[in-house]
Amino acid sequence: MVYAVKIENLVKKYDTGTVAVDGISLSIEKGEFFGFLGPNGAGKTTTIHCITGVARITSGTISVFGIDVVKDYRKARTKVGIAPQEFNIDIFGKVGKLLDYIGGYYGMRKQERKKRIAELLEQFNLTQYKDTAFQHLSGGFKRRVILARALVHDPEILILDEPTAGVDVELRHELWRDLKKLNKEGKTIILTSHYLEEVELLCNRIAIINKGKIVEDGSKEHFTRDGKSLEDHYLEITRRNDKD
Amino acid sequence: MIKIKGINRIGLYTLVRREIDRILRISIQTFAAPLISATLFIFIFGFVLGSRIKEIAGIPYMQFVFPGILLMNILSSAFEHTSSAVFFGRWIKSIEEMLVAPFSYIEMILGYVISAVLRALLIGSGILIIGLFFGAVAISNVPLFLLYAVSVATIFALVGILVGLWAKGFEQLGLLNVFVIMPLSFLGGMFYSLEFLNETVRIITVLNPIFYFIDGMRYATVGYSESNLLIGAVLIVGLIISLSVLVMHLFKVGWRIRP
Repeated sequence: MVYAVKIENLVKKYDTGTVAVDGISLSIEKGEFFGFLGPNGAGKTTTIHCITGVARITSGTISVFGIDVVKDYRKARTKVGIAPQEFNIDIFGKVGKLLDYIGGYYGMRKQERKKRIAELLEQFNLTQYKDTAFQHLSGGFKRRVILARALVHDPEILILDEPTAGVDVELRHELWRDLKKLNKEGKTIILTSHYLEEVELLCNRIAIINKGKIVEDGSKEHFTRDGKSLEDHYLEITRRNDKD
Repeated sequence: MIKIKGINRIGLYTLVRREIDRILRISIQTFAAPLISATLFIFIFGFVLGSRIKEIAGIPYMQFVFPGILLMNILSSAFEHTSSAVFFGRWIKSIEEMLVAPFSYIEMILGYVISAVLRALLIGSGILIIGLFFGAVAISNVPLFLLYAVSVATIFALVGILVGLWAKGFEQLGLLNVFVIMPLSFLGGMFYSLEFLNETVRIITVLNPIFYFIDGMRYATVGYSESNLLIGAVLIVGLIISLSVLVMHLFKVGWRIRP
């Protein structure tokens, strides 16, 4: 079976000697809305960085739709879109141009970019901010731009690292609606979030990482069994793991 | 579905376009400042002092100093371009946009270098126009002139990438320019002939690589040289190759950009 994302024995050791990811294996099916949870420093963002190419893999393999992210990185990267936690963007750039550059990076032609960006600006209510510099947008609209940027090249896999951090309640609900729609349209979504009610609402499969290791992996039902909430299970698992 | 075969041409063009857009956005800093500075240099050293010094080796002093002023601006704008682009990309993490995109590390380097050379040539063209007003411009060999301009810009674009990768803060970013590039430029025979120097200083000068760049550019403009041009040519080719290999290696291993 070809998985949307398949991680096998991934190890990421930084030059400082810190082992951020310690031999994890995960398989995410096409169309899944996958919640990737864990405490701060557990290895979530590092795993995402290894999938997207922001970090080098120490050992192990990652493939997206069967394509190795290191050996065939060009092809693999066209399939992945990333909306990171931090605003890693030229804050002085105008929204329309920032999105246009990304389309160009992915080899999209001018007309194709123009059409796609118009769609995304419309979808995320950003059309009126097309010529506004990123730094002049409110926090919520900045999040929307980051999400739109991840979608310019229409990736099959969308990775969202804390997409609703610092976002007000109304916008959070709007983003949830957008994400549900994208998932319904067939996109595989990987979500990390500290808002567990968000994960419970959106995801159909969840894995918990702690100290660089996967400590639990299962369906949403598995994490909400026995009448307990995801938060109850999460705390139980991470506390148990911390004691071990 | 997006398919990229061979070189990511649209991506590379976009990298260059983005960099050019960036420098146009801050055009007072990137264009006006060096042009005003060059005008002052030409006016003071060429026009004011030139009226006293008259000639060096039969060449009007204004025309003697002009290639050095031009080259100093070409190399410093290429250096500033890549050092700031790489450093700020790391600083604000916008470089991650490139890292997650389907670029090879060679394409990323080319994007930086091509845009730096274009910026340097734009500045150089502006200074040439200013030089024309002062009667400072003479170009005896156009292809050689362009070759020197492009190759020196390439060398300093690569040096700028190294500094942009190495710098951990704004202070380090300016160190090389203040303590190495600027002193070597001024002491590289920009304003004087080797004949003016005593033996010791002359030996020190011929050990300065920038001396060969300025002298070569002077040969391409006024047809006068005080160095062995072959040594200069070997130095330029050697530096481009060795710096390219070093920069490619650092990008390949992800030094300071891909942990």
